[in-house]
Amino acid sequence: MRVVIGEDEALLRRGLELMLGDAGFDVVAVAGDATELEAAVAEHRPALAVTDIRMPPSYTDEGLLAALRIRTQFPQTAVVVLSQHVQRRYAVELLSDQTGGIGYLLKQRIADVDEFLGDLRRVAEGGTAIDPDVVAVMVSRARRSNVAVGALTPRQQEVLGLMAEGRSNASIAARLFLTEKAVVQHASRIYDALSLPVDSDAHRRVLAVLQHLNRD
Amino acid sequence: MSMGASAPIRRSFDRALFAILCLGLLLVLILVALLPWQGPYWAVLLLFPINVLVYLGAGLLAWHYRPSNRMGALILLTGVWVFLGGAANTDVPALVWLGTIASSMPLAGFVHLLLAFPKGRVRGTIARATVALAYATSIVLEAPRYLFIPDPTAPGLAIVDAPELARWGNIAQELVGFLVLMSTLLVLVRRLRRASTAERRVLVPLYGYGIAAVVVLLFASRLLRPVFGWAPTDVAALQLLMFCGVPIAFALGILRGGVARTGELEELGVWLGEAGNTKPAIGAALARTLGDPTLEVWFWVPGRDGYVDMDGAPVTADRQHTGRGLEPVELDGRRIGAISCDIALMDEPDLVRTAGRVVAIALDRERLIAELLASHRALQSSRERLVQVADGERRRIAQDLHDGLQVQLVLLALEAQQLANAGGVGGAVRERATVLRKGIDAAAADLREVVHAVMPAALTQRGLSAAAEDLVDRMPVPTTLTLDVVDNECPPVVESTAYFVVAEALANAVKHADAGAIAVLLRRQDDVLHVEVRDDGDGGARAGAGSGLTGMAERVEALGGAVRITSADGHGTTIRAEIPCVS
Repeated sequence: MRVVIGEDEALLRRGLELMLGDAGFDVVAVAGDATELEAAVAEHRPALAVTDIRMPPSYTDEGLLAALRIRTQFPQTAVVVLSQHVQRRYAVELLSDQTGGIGYLLKQRIADVDEFLGDLRRVAEGGTAIDPDVVAVMVSRARRSNVAVGALTPRQQEVLGLMAEGRSNASIAARLFLTEKAVVQHASRIYDALSLPVDSDAHRRVLAVLQHLNRD
Repeated sequence: MSMGASAPIRRSFDRALFAILCLGLLLVLILVALLPWQGPYWAVLLLFPINVLVYLGAGLLAWHYRPSNRMGALILLTGVWVFLGGAANTDVPALVWLGTIASSMPLAGFVHLLLAFPKGRVRGTIARATVALAYATSIVLEAPRYLFIPDPTAPGLAIVDAPELARWGNIAQELVGFLVLMSTLLVLVRRLRRASTAERRVLVPLYGYGIAAVVVLLFASRLLRPVFGWAPTDVAALQLLMFCGVPIAFALGILRGGVARTGELEELGVWLGEAGNTKPAIGAALARTLGDPTLEVWFWVPGRDGYVDMDGAPVTADRQHTGRGLEPVELDGRRIGAISCDIALMDEPDLVRTAGRVVAIALDRERLIAELLASHRALQSSRERLVQVADGERRRIAQDLHDGLQVQLVLLALEAQQLANAGGVGGAVRERATVLRKGIDAAAADLREVVHAVMPAALTQRGLSAAAEDLVDRMPVPTTLTLDVVDNECPPVVESTAYFVVAEALANAVKHADAGAIAVLLRRQDDVLHVEVRDDGDGGARAGAGSGLTGMAERVEALGGAVRITSADGHGTTIRAEIPCVS
């Protein structure tokens, strides 16, 4: 899979490049700032772009803005945005176009290599990977302000959170030591409780869950 | 300023001037009553009472507004000579005597006025001698005219009929008069050369007019009658018209610079005693009192051995030496300031000195207030700088941790995990390396919290509303956020201070107040950023020593803002902060 990396910290950029290379990704370009990153994406049209959110010259959120532009201009390129600190507003902005192919993860998640690579592959296939930290904020916020979410059982809320992170039923089952069938049952009760439309596409279901969690 | 009971001297002085006015008007009435209006020269005669009125008015005005200046008195004295000149034309023998004897006195009066200008005193030997000679000419050398030629209108004045003697006397008078004229010119030219350009603008026309009056008085009858064939009445009319202008010219000369009244120093003192904070600057009050709008008051700054003006700007050396007068003001033997004023007024140094003594204490007070304000401003701006520096430090620390330690922890954890995943290692190593990676991840999470507490990324990346939203998102109790701000409209230090107010107030509400609902409001209105955090908790919050609320209030106050805490027991807590947002 062809990947472009945007990261201004040289050591980390190199570390990512090596790790992805070892995992069989084809790193076609690395960039030190958002402008280079967008140029590299335009040139190589990779399946995936992995970018830091905070890059030169202003060191604010240019990685995020670049990600949004890439998703609009090159729908075939999925984007994973990495950040030292994650917050709901950025996740909502990234998810705003409702097309999937978006990841928003804490930088520290890189270290859990297998998990991280799994997230990258899922995003590249059109799925989503939202950091557990942000999802936790989303769920606890929704629990207070959204009656339907508040009425879910603790276990259902747990499943809801893992769904929001973008995980597959199998992954959720493994994590919660449940059978996949049990997870499916939980999920269908959650859909009923939140009145979410039935959709056969797993990615679109995740997006619907995220949208529900973040409504005002 | 009203003339109150505070100025008894001023009142009695005004009464005296009023008495002079009455006397003068009486003399004018006498003149009008006694002059022979039936004759062919009534129009010329009319100029006498008019002249007396003009001298009276000009003299009194000058004296009234410049009580310590003798010019007003001199103008009135010259007016007496003009009155006597008119009296000589009546039919009353005693008046005719007086008028005849004093007929040349206006000459001495004019010379005296010219040389006494502007302060009313004649300074310098030559000038004094010239004035003395002018009076001698007008009194002694006039005598032959009436002593040696009998005049039927003034019977008994002549002692012998000797026209030849009278003619010699006349020639002597004209010669000495010419000498007086020359000497006067000499003194005046010397004074003009010493005067500044601004002063010359006043002095040249004044001197010119004065000299012309003297010349007309001395030589008009000798020149105009024989050479140009003027009738005696025409010459007299010209002379009287010239006379008329003299008091006007001199009165204007000393009143230039405003018609403020001097001699109100006592009143100034009383006013200073009762003046509150709203009074205008002392400089303005003194300028008005001393009648010099260009007057300035300077403060002495011991540290720099120089003066500063009312605005605190240092007074440069060339401003001190522009030919203006400078009167130092002292209090208890220390120099505290100076009054800079027009040199013409400075010819009465007593007046300015007295004014200086009167205002000394007030001036010192104003100086102390100015110093206090300055040090208060300095303190305020240093507090503000401290907050700014602290804010900058927080940003720098957050960034350093972000760029350094956090990246290191990612790489270390990655390495640990890669070690765990590497082929050829035993299960125990694999497990321990994974535990190590998780430990590093946990340390990184702790570090994230520290960095977030020092300076949240949302604040530096987006601004106040994004950061506040993140705070509210993470609240364990239902919290609403009302945003009426545009990010980055306020300076970073103002936004971060507002952010920490919200963070501290929210932490307080959750930790101490057991709040069930919280409302946060951020609004920028005009140039003020309003922050309000209201909860429905236990109340009783106090900004006591050591509390986070105190530190927060101090930060806000350092930026010129204010924090109010309303927290009655059992009625929730409302924390409001207003921070000036001047970008």
